[in-house]
Amino acid sequence: MTEHDDYLWDRSGDADPDVVRLEQLLAPLAHRGERLRDLPDRAVRRSVVRVVIPLLTAAASIALVIAGADFAARQRGAGWAVEALDGAPLVDGRRIGADGSIRAGEALETDADSRARLDVGGFGTVEIEPDTRLRIVSARDEAQRLALDRGRIHALIWAPPGRFAVSTPSATAIDLGCAYTLDVDPAGHGLVQVISGWVAFEDAGRESFIPEGAICATRRGRGPGTPRYLDAPEGYEAALATLDFGAPDDPGRAAALDLVLREARSRDALTLWHLLSRGSPDERARVYDRMAALVPPPVGVTRAAILRRDQPALDAWWNALGLDTADWWRVWKTRWGRK
Amino acid sequence: MSDVLPSVELAAERVAGIRGRAGVIRFAPGQAAEDGQLVRAARAGDREAFERLYERYARMVHGLLLARFGRADVEDLVQDVFLAAWRRLDDLRDPAAFGGWLAAITRRRAADHVRRPTMVELPEHVAAAEETSALTDAGTVLRTIASLPDAYRETLVLRLVEGLTGPEIAQRTGLTAASVRVNLHRGMKLLREKLNV
Repeated sequence: MTEHDDYLWDRSGDADPDVVRLEQLLAPLAHRGERLRDLPDRAVRRSVVRVVIPLLTAAASIALVIAGADFAARQRGAGWAVEALDGAPLVDGRRIGADGSIRAGEALETDADSRARLDVGGFGTVEIEPDTRLRIVSARDEAQRLALDRGRIHALIWAPPGRFAVSTPSATAIDLGCAYTLDVDPAGHGLVQVISGWVAFEDAGRESFIPEGAICATRRGRGPGTPRYLDAPEGYEAALATLDFGAPDDPGRAAALDLVLREARSRDALTLWHLLSRGSPDERARVYDRMAALVPPPVGVTRAAILRRDQPALDAWWNALGLDTADWWRVWKTRWGRK
Repeated sequence: MSDVLPSVELAAERVAGIRGRAGVIRFAPGQAAEDGQLVRAARAGDREAFERLYERYARMVHGLLLARFGRADVEDLVQDVFLAAWRRLDDLRDPAAFGGWLAAITRRRAADHVRRPTMVELPEHVAAAEETSALTDAGTVLRTIASLPDAYRETLVLRLVEGLTGPEIAQRTGLTAASVRVNLHRGMKLLREKLNV
């Protein structure tokens, strides 16, 4: 094997010019992200094997369940303190007492007149707004996991980055040391607004990184959209919604991209950087040209590398954006992300 | 919502690769386990879970088919393969092995499709008429790749067209990393010889 084979294998090592040319030539033939067509109803088949074997194994499982119960209880943690701020919020249908607590597997619900506050095991607090349903998935010190089914929460977290995460029906918000507000509407669509620090929004491999002062929407089945600063140019919200969640052949797509590129300021490189990896090759080429005019790519980062979504090149450009906390984020990636 | 519980745990695992190639679904440790959870949810009739599997594996299926057929045929065949998988999910013994199982369905579907490699339908901007070199004509290159043995053409299309790396090809198809690496190496050698580059 040669150095060039390393590039052929995983794009490491020196780039093989022939392979690079082939990649550039053939990339337009790749899968274009067409949606899956409507699926018919499927009959759920329950074969004899699938019915009998679970019954036979159930008895054996009972013993394991009993033996594991104590271990599982320790894994869940001792639970977190919860208090009513207004009205009568419920934990698994019960009103919160004077010294209320909530444990993994339980759900906290507020109605239109109630609010609550959760103490996240000494690592932060979460305020739960009216008409919200929040479940505790894990209350362990090393992994605090919530699931926001609907409603709004405000989280202020000082746990080490990555330990606290909130799942929603459309994406998972992974706390990187910050304060933020997270909304989930009845359809399962979400919105995160970061007050300080950083949040990573993730779903099925699609990621968005939202710094302080920025906002990002998610859609059920589509994952996180493209982040934008709260003071982004007028029209950005609607244009990004079209680009992120519209159909690939949406007639308004070109106009939406026109607006995003035309109105972009240097600060909006945050938004453009995410768009470098999304959309059609032609769209990404246009994004590259505009972003290069606003924040020139560092030496060694080529147009071709960016357009083929070369990760080291994308990372290098990200580093050149001058985001206040980028270094901090990198340190976290190195120190915690490899655990 | 039940599928959210495991996925949030896995999402934390994926933090290690969270700056992976945005827009292209990149797998990290725990992917097979999450595939299994999605398969189980889909078996129970959860369409969204199956759509997530589609998002993860559409490129693989597309690449395996493009290694054999013209692009005009491939789009419909991709949908056919996923429809067949949706209907036959109960046949999958190990839900975590979804990728390899789907690759097998794709190859069988390809075998059933009688048409062999044909002219490739190209976007207008891909092949400039005045350029005649083999390395400037996507159709020529793709047809040349399609003339190679199955193992080579599949891995080369997944690598050069669909943009997957060798490790990703191994993860998705169920092949060992060593096999994929050898296929890429030998396939590329053959391709260079045929293209005279």
